Amino acid sequence: MRKKLRIGGWFGDILRVSRKEFYLSFHDVGVIVFFVLLAFAYPVLYALIYNPEVANDVKVVVVDDDRSELSRAFTRSLDATSEAHVIGYAANMEEAREAVNEKECFGIVYFPEGFSANAERGQQGDVVLYADMSLLMRYKQLLTAMTDVQQAYCSRIMTAKLPAAAGGGGAIIESREVPIGNTGRGIASAVLPAVLILVLQQSLLLGIGMLRGGSRERRLKNGGIDPHDVGGAVGATILGKTVTYLIIYLLPSIYVLFIVPIMFSYPQNGNPIEILVFLLPFMLCASFMGQSLQVFVNERESTFLVLVFTSVIFIFLSGISWPRYAMGGLWHSIGNAIPSTWAANGYILMMTDGASFAQVKHHYFMLWGLAVAYFIIAYCVERFICRPRYRRMRYYDAKSPGSLLREEARRNGLG
Amino acid sequence: MLREYVKETVKRGLVSLVRRRIYFITMVVLPLLGAFFFLDLIKSGSVEQAPVGLVDLDNSTLSRNLSRHLAAMQQVSVQHQYASFDEARQAVQRGEILGFFFIPEDLSEKALSGNHPTLSYYINYAYYAPASMQYKGFKTITVLANGGIAANVMQFMGATGEQISATLQPIAVHTHPVANPWLNYSYYLNASFIPTFFALLIFLVTAFTIGIELKYGTCRQWVERAGGSMGLALTGKLVPQTCIFIVVGWTIQWMMYRLYGLPLNCANWIMPVTMVLYVLANQAFALTVMSLIPNFRYGTTVCSLMAVIAFSVCAFSLPRESEYAWVGGLSYVLPARYYFLISVDQALNGIDLHYSRWYYAALVAYTFLPWTLTWKLKKECLNPVYVP
Repeated sequence: MRKKLRIGGWFGDILRVSRKEFYLSFHDVGVIVFFVLLAFAYPVLYALIYNPEVANDVKVVVVDDDRSELSRAFTRSLDATSEAHVIGYAANMEEAREAVNEKECFGIVYFPEGFSANAERGQQGDVVLYADMSLLMRYKQLLTAMTDVQQAYCSRIMTAKLPAAAGGGGAIIESREVPIGNTGRGIASAVLPAVLILVLQQSLLLGIGMLRGGSRERRLKNGGIDPHDVGGAVGATILGKTVTYLIIYLLPSIYVLFIVPIMFSYPQNGNPIEILVFLLPFMLCASFMGQSLQVFVNERESTFLVLVFTSVIFIFLSGISWPRYAMGGLWHSIGNAIPSTWAANGYILMMTDGASFAQVKHHYFMLWGLAVAYFIIAYCVERFICRPRYRRMRYYDAKSPGSLLREEARRNGLG
Repeated sequence: MLREYVKETVKRGLVSLVRRRIYFITMVVLPLLGAFFFLDLIKSGSVEQAPVGLVDLDNSTLSRNLSRHLAAMQQVSVQHQYASFDEARQAVQRGEILGFFFIPEDLSEKALSGNHPTLSYYINYAYYAPASMQYKGFKTITVLANGGIAANVMQFMGATGEQISATLQPIAVHTHPVANPWLNYSYYLNASFIPTFFALLIFLVTAFTIGIELKYGTCRQWVERAGGSMGLALTGKLVPQTCIFIVVGWTIQWMMYRLYGLPLNCANWIMPVTMVLYVLANQAFALTVMSLIPNFRYGTTVCSLMAVIAFSVCAFSLPRESEYAWVGGLSYVLPARYYFLISVDQALNGIDLHYSRWYYAALVAYTFLPWTLTWKLKKECLNPVYVP
């Protein structure tokens, strides 16, 4: 039967490797967890974590040495903003500081004596905000609340005093901020698209690592021979596996890239077909990259040790939380060599900003360039490192049967 | 006899560390490289000079004046002037700029006739940190534009400079960002992400060391060589790692506080001692997981998952009180959260140790937690079943 199916030659190898890889992937719970469960569950978990989007009602305490109508009104308005919440008055700065240290609140608003007199007399009335700086977001929210209230009171006082020609009736030139792309300004809508791309790449890397770990373990037990190894040509083996991964990832990709944004109403301005075409070289890259990195994986479980930490590094290199223009040259270039960098930024431009395929062609060509580069690396790794290793394993086992497992136990300091 | 057991187990722990490269890499190279990565990536501490565009349809003295101000801004860096709104919008879609400032064609005409023209700034909120930086820059320009015109009018009416600023802004807000007046981003990110990255590696290495004994079925022998005491077997395996992790942790702290100058406003001994507790707490956490789920892959999966979501749930960006209750609750399960709170109290704010007492209590509690569960691990070790 098998003989009949053999198409022979290089293309036949691709088919046979691919079919075997399907079998291996779906007969390994660990791999299925990575390929399917991770891709399905992780985006949801992540989206839920970031769903609240902003911090509201950041607690502050007020120290009022002015005790005037204006300072009390200012405090009430501050409490009324969505960003800040006044937990009460403190008798003095000492008491207020104690409240901050005990984490009862995260800022102190201080009205010095003479605040309202100065404001109304035509000098400047100063109000001071002391902010706890453990989290940037709390500070930002407090600052926004303070500035809004300040501006409201400024224009109220100014309206009473200024002639209309000097802008007494409000600003002379109005200004407005128009958010584009992520029009809701949500932090989840900004961060999640990059995470989605990372999930696809990292789950594939982890799955490939685990498959390779399994194969090496079979070799250890079988005298350097993997009974599931088809023994195809090097290039055909790499491509055959890649074909399998692309097919397996079709459904998870559609789910991650299009369904998750619908579930959590993230911006969806891209054309799905264009996005899938754009991400084809990305998945090729991820597959070749996984097959290059697999050389570091010795058993199924060391996949975690070798690959999990890269997620954190790759997401930073993509520039989603720390922009790429603010990175040093070294990190910028390393980022250029990681497929997720181009894929995440391209996906964001298409999905969030509604870019057309032509507008992200630079990203697209970079991904193809990386695909070629990673294929060459994967080829060299398989041809010059892995295969000679297998030959050595067979040689040692032939010389002394069982020596492979003994050596493995010795290296682990076991036994 | 006891001395023999101790010798045996510690030897077993050390030998595995020396013979496999993976331990040296994950315990020494990666934590230090990771710390260097974060510190060096964010060493400038701010995302100033966001690439933006400009569309000036007015082309008047007033609008050219505004563009000159914009070009001099710290927050943004004008890359290119576009002829129309569409051109600028497309440049955003190509990712060349992250936002643009739009001056309508009737700006100066309307401004001078008192008709309130509108300046618009378009900001791509797909990139969050640069977006708030642009907002700050663009907002300042519009305030300046208004102030400039109002000041001109008032000067014309004979007001002095001081009077002008008091009248334009009768109330001024002075902000004191305590302990971080420069709003340096690196102070937050590195104080939280570097220890969490370190915790990730501690989790994985600890889980791996225990799991590999289960995998090769040598765990029975491991326990027997320790005289049947699970506690002794684990101590022998893990204490050599504890020592290495502590030294690596101190090196990381030295990099953070001395090499890259992160604020250290407490007594010098406090953070190194905290690091010792932190290393122990993380090892204990992984040990607890492996005791509860004595299976190599499942245990390691749980450890990886907890370590990776620690970056998101431990409330390093969104405050805990704004998170969903279950997310906030989850953050209290992880040692990284307590280390972060301590480093805020001590290294950043330099307040009395008294205020951090509960965080220290939590870190110490982790260290005792797994010893109540090791019986479960021992049961598995004596009858190991490897599940691939």
